[in-house]
Amino acid sequence: MATLKLTNVKKVYGKDTVAVDNFNLDIADKEFIVFVGPSGCGKSTTLRMIAGLEDISGGTIEIDGVVVNDLQPRDRNIAMVFQNYALYPHLTVFENMAFSLRLKKAPQDEVYEKVTKAAEILGITEYLTRKPRALSGGQRQRVAIGRAMVRDSKVFLMDEPLSNLDAKLRNQMRAEIILLRQKIDTTFIYVTHDQTEAMTLGDRIVIMKDGFIQQVGTPTEVFDMPINLFVAEFIGAPKMNTFKTNLVCENGNYYVTPYGAKIAVTGKKAEMLKEKGVGSGEVILGVRPEHFVLSNSANPGAIPCKIVVNEMMGSELHLHVVEENGDRLIVRIPTVSLEDEQRKALVYGSTIYVTFEGKVMHFFDPETQKNLLV
Amino acid sequence: MKNNQKKLKRKSMGAKAKRRLSNTIIYIILVIMTVVWLFPFVGIVLESFKTETKMQTGYLFPREFGFTHYERLFKETDFLLWFKNTAIMGIATAFLQTFFILSMSYTLSRLRFKGRKFLMNFMLILGMFPGFLTMILIYKVFADFGLIMEMAPLGLIIVYCASSGMGYYVSKGFFDTIPKSLDEAARVDGATRWQVFYKVIMPLSKPIVIYTILMGFMAPWGDFMLASYLIHENSEGMSVAVGMFEWLSATNLNTNYTMFCAAGVIVAIPVVTVFLLLQKYYVEGVTGGAVKG
Amino acid sequence: MSFVHRLTMPFQYKKECKLSLYLIMKRLTDLEYLQLNKFQAFLYKLKMFFVSIPLWFKGIGLSILGFFKSCGLAIKNEVVDIVTTFTKGNWAVKLSFLIFGFGNFYYGQIARGILFLLFEVVFIGYMIVPSGGMYWMSKCNWFQVGSTVGTVQGGNIEVELAPGTGFFVEQWVDGDDSVKVLLYALLTVIFIVAFVITWRMQVKQCRICMDITAKGKKIKSGKDDLKSLLDDQFHKTLLAPSLIGILAFTVLPIIYMVLIAFTSYDAAHDGYANLFSWVGLEHFNELFDFGKGGLGLAFGEILSWTLMWSFFATFTNYFLGMFVAIMINKKGIKIKKFWRTVLVMTIAIPQFVSLLYVSNLFTTSGIIGSVLEKIPFIHDWRVSNNFVSLWDSPVVAKILLIVINIWIGIPYIMLMATGILMNIPNDLYESARIDGASSVQQFTKITLPYMLFVTGPYLLTSFVGNLNNFNVIYLLSRGNPLNSEIGVAGGVAVGHTDLLITWLFKMTLGSPESKYYMASLIGIMVFLVVAVLSLIVYNVIPSTRNEEDYK
Repeated sequence: MATLKLTNVKKVYGKDTVAVDNFNLDIADKEFIVFVGPSGCGKSTTLRMIAGLEDISGGTIEIDGVVVNDLQPRDRNIAMVFQNYALYPHLTVFENMAFSLRLKKAPQDEVYEKVTKAAEILGITEYLTRKPRALSGGQRQRVAIGRAMVRDSKVFLMDEPLSNLDAKLRNQMRAEIILLRQKIDTTFIYVTHDQTEAMTLGDRIVIMKDGFIQQVGTPTEVFDMPINLFVAEFIGAPKMNTFKTNLVCENGNYYVTPYGAKIAVTGKKAEMLKEKGVGSGEVILGVRPEHFVLSNSANPGAIPCKIVVNEMMGSELHLHVVEENGDRLIVRIPTVSLEDEQRKALVYGSTIYVTFEGKVMHFFDPETQKNLLV
Repeated sequence: MKNNQKKLKRKSMGAKAKRRLSNTIIYIILVIMTVVWLFPFVGIVLESFKTETKMQTGYLFPREFGFTHYERLFKETDFLLWFKNTAIMGIATAFLQTFFILSMSYTLSRLRFKGRKFLMNFMLILGMFPGFLTMILIYKVFADFGLIMEMAPLGLIIVYCASSGMGYYVSKGFFDTIPKSLDEAARVDGATRWQVFYKVIMPLSKPIVIYTILMGFMAPWGDFMLASYLIHENSEGMSVAVGMFEWLSATNLNTNYTMFCAAGVIVAIPVVTVFLLLQKYYVEGVTGGAVKG
Repeated sequence: MSFVHRLTMPFQYKKECKLSLYLIMKRLTDLEYLQLNKFQAFLYKLKMFFVSIPLWFKGIGLSILGFFKSCGLAIKNEVVDIVTTFTKGNWAVKLSFLIFGFGNFYYGQIARGILFLLFEVVFIGYMIVPSGGMYWMSKCNWFQVGSTVGTVQGGNIEVELAPGTGFFVEQWVDGDDSVKVLLYALLTVIFIVAFVITWRMQVKQCRICMDITAKGKKIKSGKDDLKSLLDDQFHKTLLAPSLIGILAFTVLPIIYMVLIAFTSYDAAHDGYANLFSWVGLEHFNELFDFGKGGLGLAFGEILSWTLMWSFFATFTNYFLGMFVAIMINKKGIKIKKFWRTVLVMTIAIPQFVSLLYVSNLFTTSGIIGSVLEKIPFIHDWRVSNNFVSLWDSPVVAKILLIVINIWIGIPYIMLMATGILMNIPNDLYESARIDGASSVQQFTKITLPYMLFVTGPYLLTSFVGNLNNFNVIYLLSRGNPLNSEIGVAGGVAVGHTDLLITWLFKMTLGSPESKYYMASLIGIMVFLVVAVLSLIVYNVIPSTRNEEDYK
C-alpha cells in the first residue's frame, strides 16, 4: 500500500543509448497501473528501475514520499514477478515462497501460515512439496505470484508475467490476476506488450514508445481519445485503419472525402472540431475496424473495395480489403448482423462497399501525428 | 508404377543394410580404439608384476608373476613419503583452489562493477606470459622462507593456489548459463549479494564446484614442471612426479623400470577412483563450462 | 512493378559485364555478391581479406590512439577534480591533502580515517627507516647501464684472527644480494604507486563527503561500509584474496622477470656471490644472431617447430575427437557409456605415469619398438642412420609426438564435442534430411559450422595451451634428439623437438650456466608471439567477440 512518484526519470545505457527519458508519473495508492508498448520502448527498464535492479541515470523515484534512488532492492519493500518466473530450481514450492520470509528471519508458524494462505488463494496447495521442475507453466506462474504475495510489500511489480503461457492459459490467468487484485489490496505495476492485457487489467494505462510516455489514461480514455497516431494504432485489435484524406469545412459543417466518398462529421466530433476552429485541409483519418459497416453503391459515403482476406473469427468476420488506390483496410463485422446469403458473398475477390458513421472518426495532423481534437 | 515401387523398396532395404554396415565399421573402430587406449594401462599393470627389473624386450605378459617391485617400493624407497606429500598437496590444493577460482569466476560472471572488463583483459594478457618463469623469483624468495626442499609441499600448495584465480574460464562459463533473473528475484526478495551467492547460486552449482575440486586434486599428481623447481635432490619433500621421474633417467632406467610401473599403478589408483566416482560432474563441468567460456 | 525491376536489375547487370575479374575488383552489394559462383565468391572473399588488412591495422592504431586519448582525458579529469576539491574544500579537506584520512575524521568516518592515516604512517616509516625504502632504491641503481644492482660486493676478505696476532684468515663477508636488492626496490616502487593511489582515493572521498553533506544527506558510517562489503561492494570481498594472490605470485614475479632481461643475471652473476649489473638492451641484440648457437637461429627454429606442433596437436585432436564423439553418439551404437569411460580413463591417470611408460614403448627394447624392429625395412633404416631408437630420428620423433598427443587429447575433445552435439537442435538435422542432405553433407553443413562457432574460443585457448604443452614433450622426448645445427643456445643444447617452453625450462633448471636473463628475454618473446596470435584469432573468430551472446 503505497503511492509512487516518478519525476523526470531517465535511463541511459553506456554513453548515449537512451532507454527511458523524461518519465513523469504519479501512482495513487492501490492503483493498478499498466505500462504497455512495443518491445524496446523502455517499459521493462522503468519497472526494473522502480525495483532497484537498474541504476537510475537521472530524476527521482519516490515510494511513499521517500526517495529510493540509492536503496538496494531489498530495502524498497517491493515484490516482483518475473517474465520467466525465476523460481529457485533447488528449492521446493514451499521453500520458494518462504524464501523472502526466511531471509527476514520470520518465525516458522508465521512463514507456514502466510505461505499456505497464499497457496490456497492460488490453488497450489497440493504442489507445495514439489520442485519447480515438476510443475507446468501455469503452476510455475502461480508459484511466482505466490512468492511475491507472501511479502506484504508496498508495491507489486509484474514484468510480462503471462507472456510465456499459451493463449488459453493466458486468458485464464488474466482473469485470475483481476480476482487476485481484489484479494491483495496493494499498488500494482504491470508491464506488458499486449494491449488486451493492458485494457482489461489496468486502472490506468501508460503507453510508451522509444523511451517516452505517449499517453497516460484510463482504458476508456486512451481508446476513445488517443493522443496521437501511435496510441491510436497501438490500442485496439485489429488496429485502427488510418489513411490520408481531406477534411472540408463548409459553412460550419465538416465532411471528409476518403477515396472519393463524402461522409459528414456528426455528433460530438463535429462540435469539437468547431470548438477548436479546425479549418479545411489534409488530415490523417482514423477509423476503427468495428466502426465500418457494409453499404451499397447508392450511398455517396460508400467506398468500393475488394476482399483479399476473409478471417472468420466465429462471432465476427475480419475482412481485409483493398481499396482502389491499393490501400489496405480492415473491416470487422459481427456475424449476427449478416444473413447467410450475405455471408456467402463475402469471399476472396468480391467487391463490397463499406462506409462509416460521422461520429466515430479520429483526426490526426499529418505533420505532427497528434490528435487534432486534444 | 510397379517398377517404381520396387525401386523404392530396394532403396529402403539398401538403406537398412547400409546402416548396418556403417554401424559395424564403427564398432570395429571403437574396439580397436579401446584396445589402443587401454593398452598402456594394462601394460603398466602387467609390467609391475614382472620380476625382472630391466626393461624387457618385446613381451607383454610377465613370465613369472611377483610382487617384488611393490615390496621394494615400500622398503627401499621413499615412495610412501612422496605419496603422502602429493596426497596432502592434492587435498589442500583442491579446496584452496576451488575457493579462489569460484570467487573469481562468480564475480566476473554475475556481478557488474567498474573495471570488470579491464580485469578480464588484464588476466588474459597476463596468461600469455610463460607463467613458470615466475618460479625463478619464487624459488629465491621461498628459499629465504624455507619453503623449498623438505618444506616444498607447503611452498607448492601456495604456488598452485595463489594465482589460480586466473583459471576462471571454465567455471565462469558455467555461471554464465544460470539465468540472471534468479539473482534479481532473490535480491527483490530481500537477499544481499552474499545471500544470493550462498543461498541461490552455490546450491545450483554443484557440478562446477565438484569439477573444480577434482581438477585441484589432480593437479599435484600430474605436475612435474613447477614441482621440480622447488624440490631437487631432497627426497623428503618430493612429490611422486618428481621422485619417480628420476627413476627413469638414462642411468637408472634398467634397474628401476618395472618399479616405476608398480609405483605408477599405486599412484593411479586414488586418482582414477576419485575420477571415476565423480566422472559425471567432470563431464558436466567440461561440457557446460568449457564451451561457453 | 518497381519491385520486379529491382530484382531483375542485377541480372541484366551481370550480362553486361561478363568479366568476373571486374566484379571482384570493386566492393559488391549483397545482392551482387549473391550472384557470384563459388570460385568468384572465394576470390572476392580473398580480396576483401587483403583489402581489410590495412583497415585492420588502422583500427588497431585508432584504438591505441583512443586508449591514450581516454587515458589523457582521465588524467585531466582527475587533476581537475583534485584542484576543485582543494579550492572548494574547507580547512579539514585541505589538511587531508597532507594528512591522510583527515577529511574522513572531519566527516565522521572514523574507521576509514584511521585506516588511511595508518597507511600513511606505515609508508613514511618504511621509506625512512635504515634499510627501508630509500635505502633499497638507492642501492638498485635503476637502469643505469654498467652499474651493479646492489653496491657492496660480498667476498673473501683477509681478517686478522685477533687484534695484534698477525694471523690473517680468509673469511667470507656478506655483500648485497642483487636478487634481493632488485626485489625490494621493486616492492618499494609498487608501494610508492600504492601510496599515490591511496592519496588520490582519500582526496576523492573528501570530495564525495563534501557533496553529500552539501545535499544534506547522511554519510555512510563504518558499519555501513562493512555491511556493503557483503552487498553492493560484494565483488571487492570476493576478488580481494584472488587478486592479492595474483599480484604477489604472478604480476610481481613477471615484472621482476622482465626487469631481469635488462641485467646480467645468470649462474656466474647470481647476485649473492657476485652482483649482477644493468646491461640495458645488450641482450636483445643477441636475438639477431643467426649463426650457429646464436639466439636468433635457435629462437627461429624452435618457434617454427612450436607453431607447427601446436597447429597439428590442436587440429588433429579437434577433428579426430569430434569424429569419435560423432561415432559414439550415432543412433544404434550401443554401450555408449562404456566407450566414453574407456577414453576418459586417460584423463584420470597422471600424465607423467602414462607418458613415461608410452615413451618407453617405442624404444628399441620397448614392446612396440621391438615389434617394429622385426620389420627388416625399419631395422635397416635405423641401423643405417645410427639411431639407437625411433626417438633418435627428428622426423619420426615429431610424428610420434603428434600421434601420442592424439591419444592424450581425443578424450577431452570427445567429451566436449558430445556436450555440444547434444545441444544442436534435432530439427536442424530433420529439416536437412528432408531437404535431401546426405550424412556427410549434414556433417559439413550443420555439425561442423555449429561446432566451429561454439568452440572458437576453445580452439584458441587450446592452441595457446599446446604452445606451452610442457608435459607431453618433456616426458616423451625431453626435447631430443639434439639439433647439431643449432648446437648450444642460451646455455642449453637445443633439441629438435624442444618447444620454447621446454627450452626455457632447461635454461633455468639443470643448465650449469642458468642464463636467467636469456630465459627472461625468450619469455618476453613468447609473450609477444602469443599476444599477436591471439589478437589475430580474436579478430577472425566471430564467437570470441561478444561474451553476452551466449547468455
